[in-house]
Amino acid sequence: MSYLFNRGIHPKDKKELTADLPFEVMSAPAKVYIPLCQHIGAPAKARVSVGDRVKAGTLIGEATGFISANVHSSVSGTVVAIEQRENAAGRKIDHIVIENDGLYEEEALPPLENPTKMDIFTRCYDAGIVGMGGATFPTHVKIQPNKPIHTLIINGAECEPYITADYRMMLEHPKEIVEGISYIKTVLGAQKVVIGIEDNKPKAIDAMQAAVAGTDITVQKLKTKYPQGGEKQLIHAVTKLKVPWTGLPADVGVIVVNVTTAFVVYEAIKLGKPSYTRFMTVSGKGIKRPANLIVRVGTPFEDVVDYLGHNDYVKAIVGGPMMGLSIANLNPVVAKGNSSLLLLDKSEEREIEPTPCINCGRCAMACPMRLIPMMTDRLILKDKIADSYKYHPQCCIECGCCAYVCPADRPLVQSQRLAKKLIKERMQ
Amino acid sequence: MKLQVSSSPHIGTKLTTQKIMGHVCIALLFPTIAGTVMFGIYSFVVVLVAAASAVLAEFLYNKITRQPLTVNDLSALVTGMILGLNLPPTAPLFVPIVGSFFAIMIVKMLFGGIGRNFANPAATARLFLVLSWTGFMTNYAAPVDYSQGFWKAFVSGFTKEYVTSATPLTALKGASGAVPESINLLDMFLGRIGGSIGEVCAVAIILGFIYLMIFKIIDWKLPVVYIAASAVAALVFYKNGWLFILPTLLSGGLLFAAVYMLTDYSTSPNTTIGRIIFAAGAGFLTVLFRRYSGMVGGVSFAIVLMNLTVPLLDRIIPKPFGYVKPKKEAARG
Repeated sequence: MSYLFNRGIHPKDKKELTADLPFEVMSAPAKVYIPLCQHIGAPAKARVSVGDRVKAGTLIGEATGFISANVHSSVSGTVVAIEQRENAAGRKIDHIVIENDGLYEEEALPPLENPTKMDIFTRCYDAGIVGMGGATFPTHVKIQPNKPIHTLIINGAECEPYITADYRMMLEHPKEIVEGISYIKTVLGAQKVVIGIEDNKPKAIDAMQAAVAGTDITVQKLKTKYPQGGEKQLIHAVTKLKVPWTGLPADVGVIVVNVTTAFVVYEAIKLGKPSYTRFMTVSGKGIKRPANLIVRVGTPFEDVVDYLGHNDYVKAIVGGPMMGLSIANLNPVVAKGNSSLLLLDKSEEREIEPTPCINCGRCAMACPMRLIPMMTDRLILKDKIADSYKYHPQCCIECGCCAYVCPADRPLVQSQRLAKKLIKERMQ
Repeated sequence: MKLQVSSSPHIGTKLTTQKIMGHVCIALLFPTIAGTVMFGIYSFVVVLVAAASAVLAEFLYNKITRQPLTVNDLSALVTGMILGLNLPPTAPLFVPIVGSFFAIMIVKMLFGGIGRNFANPAATARLFLVLSWTGFMTNYAAPVDYSQGFWKAFVSGFTKEYVTSATPLTALKGASGAVPESINLLDMFLGRIGGSIGEVCAVAIILGFIYLMIFKIIDWKLPVVYIAASAVAALVFYKNGWLFILPTLLSGGLLFAAVYMLTDYSTSPNTTIGRIIFAAGAGFLTVLFRRYSGMVGGVSFAIVLMNLTVPLLDRIIPKPFGYVKPKKEAARG
């Protein structure tokens, strides 16, 4: 049996920079800026006003609507302002500014023993848990699919280069992850649980295998290949099921949850701790001392970089180098979904000066969704929207394999995004 | 500090168009060297002139149309070398010059330059030359005889002291049922036969193929399917066809075209299924032309003809991962 999806690429993983470094706790700065929207969906509504005293774990932003998530304070102190700041994506959103009193008083939810389905669901909602893999989809929504689920896949692939946060998590907290998984399994009623881990992390595979001993959870070794951690690719590799092109994993009876999310679920239920810390990798040649950090949400990236020191760098990326966002300055803050901060120097980053497409077809050979990115690129730049629709750009998962392999440095992912947007606007 | 902001992905391979073309140039050196050994230094000059005038043609085109210089991507150099290697070792030097200018200016640049030409520039230019100067283009020399003294033989192309010779392709023309006695498979494999500069030595071409495969420059499916289809076509079109398979594969420009011309990115289809149809069609047509047409060779015609089907083959769009037939969506789309 091969646990592999088709196509994809093999980037240098560069995980050796931080793979052997245990998590270290970074103390919070004097002021934290907590964004009210750290998730996909409607932003939370502020529940505190200037002058209020909060503790770490105090609910400061309330979910508005079904697809939304609660936001909690990450330090104890006083709310000094509610101001608009740019987040990593460059969007202006409300941030609650809290002056840290350095006492780190905590306010926890009551821990749950033997929780029922409803308890778990409510706790995920209360604790503001979102997908920690990067997509930040609210977990309480995810674990309530409207279709029966037979398999729960725990995503420990961590296929993005540089990032080792999930890896360290699996090494340091395997028991806790397994406990978190069992809660999620209870809610979903899944018969089968598989933890998928790429075979370049043998230690994590061993650790998880030891932790699942005696349970019905299995650990599945996966071939190392990008984007192994992509939801559709992971499901295909583990179950051989293909998620319909316009559908969701639940359509084939599968749900995928990240390992760190499972850990956060454990914390919320067992310790009553809301989601306000972030396990992240800070790496790249631009960082003097690459590290795996436990950072409180709302810490500006600038403080993170100052804490570790930096060399010359040309690009700062929130998330992985394949799908992450490059940021214009270090003002944005750490949010729940940021698994890494990378500072790349000139030698590491990709050339972005495009030359004409030479029709070599490398992008098509790399695309895990079997698209032909160069055709979308060619057509959409001439505004041929109906023609580009034939090449199904709406299926693109924006994994970046096409642009990674492109010898002409075409902006293939951008054109796919543009095509998606224009098709949505003008054809549907 | 000013930070660069760009769309993901932020890392990439170091492979560039220039490097790809550079690799192809290196792979083309194998048949160039083999041709020089077989036919003397003059044939090397022919290739050199073809390559230089192709680069010059692109440079001039860029200057005339006031477009940014594109000669740096080395694709003109590749086209020029391929064209040069497609010429007989006796060709007068104006032939590669005219051919390269035609290939670059008319076939490549007028249609949009790299990646946009609809037919293989070198193959088209060769056809143009064959039709214009049939005499020069079919005047093949036998490999030089070094036993008469190295230098004398090596410069025989300049002194016009070469021995004209028929190519195995001519010998095969009209034959069916039994292979002509003049056909020697070992000589064909090593290149001790008459023919175009680059196409004679199968060993050099195979080395070039291996080089291109190591650096993952070409898709192996194109040459392999082309050669397989040619073999099957030979089996079908000739009486006692199995006897003709190896002579067919080793004669003329078949192997050279399989490795260096069929695999041209711009003029081959994008999808695997398209490439298989394209290569199989080219193989079939090559042998069909050789066997039944009035011409001696058929490779260039087959390639250019199949190039014209590429826009059609590119209409085959693979179904995306997880494709299901749209039901209600069809009405909306």
